[in-house]
Amino acid sequence: MKSRYFSTFQLILLALFAALIVVAKIALKTPLQMSGHSGIFWMAIVIVAAGVVPKPGAVSLVGLTSGILAAFLGMGDLGALNTFLSYTMVGISADLILLLLRNPENLVVAALTGVIGHLGKLLVKWALGTLTGAPVGFLALGMARSIISYIIFGALGGLLGGLTLLALRKAGFFAYLAEKR
Amino acid sequence: MSQGKRITLAVLIIFVIAGGIMAVEMIRRQTQQTPTAAGSPTLAPGSIPIYRDGALVNGFTPEALQALEEASFVDAEEGKTQQGWLLRDVLALYLDTTSLKPETQITVSSSSRKKSVDLTWAEVAEPQNHVQFDLSGRGTLKLVSVLERLDTRDEWVQDVDKIEVRTP
Repeated sequence: MKSRYFSTFQLILLALFAALIVVAKIALKTPLQMSGHSGIFWMAIVIVAAGVVPKPGAVSLVGLTSGILAAFLGMGDLGALNTFLSYTMVGISADLILLLLRNPENLVVAALTGVIGHLGKLLVKWALGTLTGAPVGFLALGMARSIISYIIFGALGGLLGGLTLLALRKAGFFAYLAEKR
Repeated sequence: MSQGKRITLAVLIIFVIAGGIMAVEMIRRQTQQTPTAAGSPTLAPGSIPIYRDGALVNGFTPEALQALEEASFVDAEEGKTQQGWLLRDVLALYLDTTSLKPETQITVSSSSRKKSVDLTWAEVAEPQNHVQFDLSGRGTLKLVSVLERLDTRDEWVQDVDKIEVRTP
C-alpha cells in the first residue's frame, strides 16, 4: 500500500501548531507599539513545527490551516482574504527558504527562516494594500521602519523557535517521536 | 552548495524583498499626483489634504508634527496605547479654529478602506475625547478616539487620506 506523505499523527501535530498560532495571536499581547511584534510568537511556532515535522510542505500546511482558522474567526482588520493570504504566506515562504537552508535547529537558519517567513506576511499585506489603492505612507520612511521591525521580530521569533527545538531535543522529545513512528 | 553560501543567498533574498518594497514605495511616492484646482495649494506626496467647505486649504505634512504636542490613551478594546496628535491641534495649524462653531462638521475619511467618520467640532475640540491620529505600522495615519463610535478597531479610520470641514 502506498504510504501517505504525512502520517495522521503528523497531521494532528501540524493542526495543533496552526491552532496555536491563532491562539497566540489572540491571547499573547505585548505592550510594544511596533508593527509585526507578534512575529516573535508566530515565527517561533512555525520553526518548531518545521523541526517537529521535518518535511517540505509541513509549514505551508500550518500556514494554510491557521489562515483558514483566522479568516473564519474574523481576525485582522483588512478582511478575510488578506488574513488568509498573509497567514498562508508565512508558511509558504518559511517552507521555501527551508528547502534552501534545511536544518531549522541551526540557530542562524532558524533566525533567517523567521525573517523570511515574517517578511512574506508583510509582502502580502503591502501588495494587497497597494493594489487596493492604500495611500503612500504619511511618513516617507514609514515603510522602512515597518520592514526593520518585521525583520527584527521575525529573527527573534526564529531564534526562539530554534532554541525551543534544541531544548526539545535535549529533553528527548525527538527520540519519543521516533518511537511513535 | 555549502551552508555558508546558502545563508548568504538567504540574506540576499531578505535584501531583495526589503529593497523591492522600498523601491516600489519610492516610485509610488514620486509619481503620486493629487489633482488640485488652479490656484489651490500643491500637495506634497503622502500629505493629507484638508478641505473647508469644498475648497482645499492645505495638506497636513509630517513636518507639521514637530509643532504639535503628542497625546495618548489606552484603548479599551485591546489595551494598547494609542499615541499621536490631536485632530484639533492639526486643524489649528491650518484653520482659524475660533471661526468654527460647535456644530461644524468634520469628516475624516479613507478612500482605500472606504471608511469615514463624521464628528462635530465640539467633539473634536474636547481633549478628553482623544480624537487623535496614531501612526500605523506602515507609516499611514489612523484616526482613533475614546468616543463610543470611534473606540474599536472596526470603527477606527485607517489609512486616512482626507479631512473635510463643513460649516452648517
